[in-house]
Amino acid sequence: MKELVDQIQARLRDQKVTVEDVDIESRLKKLILDFRVSESEARRSVLNYFLKEHGIIPQARVSSEKVKVGEIKEAGRWVDLEVKVLDLWEPASAAISQTGLVGDSTGSMKFVKWVKSDLPNIELGKSYLLKRVVTDEFQGRYSVKLNRTSQIEPLDRDVEAKPAVSKAAQLTQVVEINEPGLWVDLRVKVSQLWEANSESISQSGLVGDETGTIKFVKWAKADLPELVEGKSYSLKNLVTDEFQGRFSVKLNRTSQIEPLDVDIEIGSVAAEFSGALVDVQKGSGLIKRCPVCKRSLAKGVCSDHGKVDGTYDLRIKAVLDNGHRVQDVLINRETTERLVDLTLDEAKQMAMEALDHEIVRSVIEGKLVGRYYSVTGPRVDRYILVESISELAPVLTSDVDGLLASAEVV
Amino acid sequence: MAGLAGFSREVAKRVFAEELKSSNYSFRDGQDQNQYAPSYLLTPTGAKCNRVFVVGTLTEKDDIGGDTEYWRGRVVDPTDSILIYAGQYQPEAAQILASMDAPSFVAVVGKPNLYQTDDGNIIISLRAESIQKVDEATRNQWIMDTAKRTLERLDEMKNVKPAALSNDFATADSVSSAPASTVAQDAERAVQHYHTDIDHFRQMVLRALSSLKADLSKAVSGPMAMPLDKNPAEMDEKSFVKGASDEATAPKKSKPKKSESLSAWPEAESGDDVETINIGKKS
Repeated sequence: MKELVDQIQARLRDQKVTVEDVDIESRLKKLILDFRVSESEARRSVLNYFLKEHGIIPQARVSSEKVKVGEIKEAGRWVDLEVKVLDLWEPASAAISQTGLVGDSTGSMKFVKWVKSDLPNIELGKSYLLKRVVTDEFQGRYSVKLNRTSQIEPLDRDVEAKPAVSKAAQLTQVVEINEPGLWVDLRVKVSQLWEANSESISQSGLVGDETGTIKFVKWAKADLPELVEGKSYSLKNLVTDEFQGRFSVKLNRTSQIEPLDVDIEIGSVAAEFSGALVDVQKGSGLIKRCPVCKRSLAKGVCSDHGKVDGTYDLRIKAVLDNGHRVQDVLINRETTERLVDLTLDEAKQMAMEALDHEIVRSVIEGKLVGRYYSVTGPRVDRYILVESISELAPVLTSDVDGLLASAEVV
Repeated sequence: MAGLAGFSREVAKRVFAEELKSSNYSFRDGQDQNQYAPSYLLTPTGAKCNRVFVVGTLTEKDDIGGDTEYWRGRVVDPTDSILIYAGQYQPEAAQILASMDAPSFVAVVGKPNLYQTDDGNIIISLRAESIQKVDEATRNQWIMDTAKRTLERLDEMKNVKPAALSNDFATADSVSSAPASTVAQDAERAVQHYHTDIDHFRQMVLRALSSLKADLSKAVSGPMAMPLDKNPAEMDEKSFVKGASDEATAPKKSKPKKSESLSAWPEAESGDDVETINIGKKS
């Protein structure tokens, strides 16, 4: 409470207004205790009340407060920041006069200065007090906007700021990339280069290490040296991205490329996923494949080879779900036979008796759906090709105790 | 999130029955808020559910349909119970529910359905996409899984600043127009709508885990020592032999009429639930 009173007093002093502490406190208490108003809202309300009381019309949304970059966790908040300019980028729109990265000791974030703000330009490497800037959010990342009500004051002292990247990139293996928006370093070989389909992309293709391959995109603006197919590189400060469950890495202006003398062997290490099996999809169970291309047939017709005499096969296309993410998995005949305890011959027999192939899928559903499994296998496209699958181990009392202990401290 | 070009399947959220039952906020979300936009239920801890995964004990089931079969079941978890429905548009689920004995452990993947009664009560049920019989081990895993996910969501809620409640219009705007919300935004939205009491739901998780722990220690000391009153999930099969065999021998001989099926529900704990017969019929 004392803190709030002091904050309000400070703002009132700015406006040359004197109010007794007790008056502020009693008003705050009423709002917070009797009317359950949040502290920050109460502070704004009380401040505006006393300003109005003294004939000062509060500017709309003036109540910005001084915060650190790392404290910004919501959009639409008015804040003051003491920051250093870490990077300046080319504005992507005519409405933007400057954009780039600012930071302090707690982190860094994007800023946008509108043309309409009519504010002076800020310089790379200099430190400033940015007043009354508004926070914004896009896809979980925060930025600040400098608009007409904002002010920029140069600072004499240097604001200590973390380097342009808030999260230090870590040397990562390709298989470990499972989240967008992370900064990573990779040691990889370029396995494929693709025709760039956009002017903003200078190169794209596949890179891989011992654990797997991943798509990469090198932006034209990144201004980085060309990668050569078959050569190995140390790629630093890449950012991960995700599209429809597939991951990629982007090389931007902060990234670095260093050629390596060693030749990196591209391999594939099994991806892992654990979760509840929530669906056995169409095309599972007893299917027929084209004898030429091995693809599954739709009503006895291969999309390439037309009507063919298919050969029977058994497979499962299933969806695992861990509550955060879904993972499609493909289970081949051998593993299916073991998992469901049903051989291909038995499945054929079963289908024959029921005069329906779908019966096999129903049997599979009955055995698998709703249970928890852990699978490993190489990731191909959106699938994990299952090499091993096992039911999760039964819950032990010690597991429950562990979770109970962590729940106590939430 | 699911664009036209690439369909991506909705994740099945893990939510305890008590939390599901305390939910009353659903909305459509997507690029354009048309009738084809997916609909979501936002729970008090900020789980944005288009689909949920529930494992529990099926304690009752009944055909409440008229000319066509329409199956209703009650699934109990350590916190509460939830009603599930399967009718002609969920033929596989309906068929499995019809042939299932109560009690048994079941895993249900379903879409949450929010229904408002004439007197203003809001009732949540699940329209089952799939129902499968599972074992107790799976039920235990689900409790752990759901406890973890719920605690994660509660953790996220603590980061929500209550100030967001009353900030400028900009906030509300940026929240509601975002087509794909982040976990943090879901948490914020839940706080705004429910004024969630974090500790209440933390206690719910603790209760669920404690009861699981008790179940596990009982299982070690021998199933015969189980008290019959605690949780229907643990009841001795024998006490149900009669009812179960009745159903097994004559499952469809005479379809019960509505009134009969209602009276056949042993102990609907609240009148509310019984009112829900009409809920999903349209869906």
